[in-house]
Amino acid sequence: MDISDLLTPERVIANLHATSKKQALQELARRAAELTGESERAVFDVLLERERLGTTGVGGGIAIPHGRLAGLSSMFGLFARLERPVEFESIDERPVDLIFLLLAPATAGADHLKALARVSRLLRDRGICEKLRGTDKREALFALLADSAASHAA
Amino acid sequence: MGGIDHTIFIGAALVLVSIIAGMFSSRLGAPLLLVFLGLGMLAGEDGPLGIHFDDFRLTYLVGSIALAIILFDGGLRTSRTTIKIAMWPAFSLASVGVLLTAVVIGALATYLLDLSPLAGLLVGATVASTDAAAVFLLLHARGTELSKRVSATLELESGINDPMAIFLTIACVQLLTTPGMEIGWHLPLSFFIQMGGGLVLGIAGGYTMLWVINKIEIAPGLYPILAGAGALMIFAGSQLVEASGYVAVYVAGLVLGNNRHRAQAVISRFHDGFAWLSQIGMFLLLGLLATPSTFISHVWAELAIALGLIVLARPFAVWLCLLPFRFTWREKLFISWVGLRGAVPIFLASIPVVAGVPNAQIFFNVAFVVVLASLAIQGWTIASSARFLGLALPPTPEQIDRVGIDLPPSADREAASWRVSEQCPALDIGFPELPLPRRTRIIAVIREGTVMKRETLGRLHIDDYVIALCPPEQLVVLDKLFSTPPKKRRWMWEDDLGEFVLSANSPFGEVCDQYGLPCELPDRNRTLGEVMLERLPKAFVIGDRIKHDSVELVVRTVEKGRITFVGLELEPEIERLPILRIWRRVTSRLLAASR
Repeated sequence: MDISDLLTPERVIANLHATSKKQALQELARRAAELTGESERAVFDVLLERERLGTTGVGGGIAIPHGRLAGLSSMFGLFARLERPVEFESIDERPVDLIFLLLAPATAGADHLKALARVSRLLRDRGICEKLRGTDKREALFALLADSAASHAA
Repeated sequence: MGGIDHTIFIGAALVLVSIIAGMFSSRLGAPLLLVFLGLGMLAGEDGPLGIHFDDFRLTYLVGSIALAIILFDGGLRTSRTTIKIAMWPAFSLASVGVLLTAVVIGALATYLLDLSPLAGLLVGATVASTDAAAVFLLLHARGTELSKRVSATLELESGINDPMAIFLTIACVQLLTTPGMEIGWHLPLSFFIQMGGGLVLGIAGGYTMLWVINKIEIAPGLYPILAGAGALMIFAGSQLVEASGYVAVYVAGLVLGNNRHRAQAVISRFHDGFAWLSQIGMFLLLGLLATPSTFISHVWAELAIALGLIVLARPFAVWLCLLPFRFTWREKLFISWVGLRGAVPIFLASIPVVAGVPNAQIFFNVAFVVVLASLAIQGWTIASSARFLGLALPPTPEQIDRVGIDLPPSADREAASWRVSEQCPALDIGFPELPLPRRTRIIAVIREGTVMKRETLGRLHIDDYVIALCPPEQLVVLDKLFSTPPKKRRWMWEDDLGEFVLSANSPFGEVCDQYGLPCELPDRNRTLGEVMLERLPKAFVIGDRIKHDSVELVVRTVEKGRITFVGLELEPEIERLPILRIWRRVTSRLLAASR
């Protein structure tokens, strides 16, 4: 599983504006709905449902909201760099400024887990996160995410 | 009289120098105990001071007292939770483990030093127990917080394995010095009498001491002395009736430490210091006693035995003794590595000398080299090995500036003062809004020597003193509020507690649906916490995990004995390929270094 299987340059947002966790999730749901053709409401509900089980703010300013969406045909990733960090109920209480949204088809099974593990391993790399925070160009962000994938695949 | 003053002066000066040298060495990260031993050796026969000292009897006397005090202090500091978590594994290591270690080393020594099998076993017995003080000190010294089960096991083991090693040593010495005495049923019998007697006398003595301390009114400074004298009486009294005084004094410490009593803070602080002094004194004396120039003749055999203990005997004993318990291979490896040897082996090796076993110097020399090697090799690498094996947990606040104030036990509250430190959470909140736990009251705030008025206080400042009254279990909450948070805020997910967090209240069915995991019908409507509780050992700790299909669920936070948050580990199979994982760590380190 490579990051480039989940992400395309269109699915990278270089400067997302949000003032709260809810607003950030709503905004991401709207973009995801536009790109997948699913309903915005359905995406948002799926994400909220997951947040109810426990926050996806994994610490270090990173959040990986995710969920399974019945109508989806393939794994869908969306990366956003926030203009200003927002409070996300993260486990280390740090506000979040990098968000990787991951939606999986209902039938994905093991692939869903693999993709999640892949994304979480990628954003665990502090060096990469620093570089992502230092860039506000969509192409550069995409290149960082996709390139790092190669060195991490081993 | 000049001779006596001379002795007092040199003795006191050595202790003073040791304490100061200890302070420096802990900054350098060198094992502290090694410094004391080294200082003793420098002052001794082969060193520049050239003090001639070979009084094994005096050493034995001082060693016995010091060991009793150290064990008593160890008991005082061991909490009921530690016992609950680690009792059986620690017991297994302290009994069967010690015997196995002694036998393996015994075989090695018999072969390498050309001794009789019994004399070989004596060598094994002297070096078979881990050192309580050394383990405590090194585990806590560098802010390494370990998984609770691992640290509890190590602590408890080191506290209770000395009696076993002492028993073995004395049994071997008796067999060697009493012609015609044979190995027979009387040995295990006397073992049970000694250990059982020690346990009974320790419990009885501990409760008597508790009763006396709570009953009588004396000057506060006398309570720790009372406790110390009581401990030594329990120790020697048990020895006199052929019960193990070492077991008794440790158990008495446990009883006293786990029950509320008067002067709790004074007693524990005093005995911490007292145990320290015992430790320093013991190492200095043993260093003085050693004559390094006599080591040379067998130096290779001695080193081989030390190495055999570290890489062969200890790992073998640990592996076998922990088979019935839930430990991961990494935890077992770490427990093997932290088999630190301290003063006890050297002390035990002085017993054959005192008892007049022929050629006794060899036991002493082997023990000495083993302890040196263990402190140097294992002591130096303990924190890095914990990190390398991924066993270190996120650190809790480091500098806690709390001083306890004694209240009568019936108050059921603790009174303490805290110094408000830099960057502590309390600084960001106005004084009236401080999130205080239940039944907690701030009595006063002192700023630059003046008691502040509440109305005009506003916010707390750095270096203010806060005096508060709270239930004992809330002390930690206030610690967090007023102390600097850990400097290196490590990301939780680096610490092997799983990639994602789930609330333990979540219905198990929903969690499984979320990740396409199978879920049996009866489990669907139970909470995640309930399902985990059922599959975990009774005394679970943070970091414990259960396997569910392809993922693992990890206990992440616990409050009042209930699981509150659970970690989800998505790729546990990586875990199961240790070689690959270590290889990856090594290569990434090398890469990082070469950049």
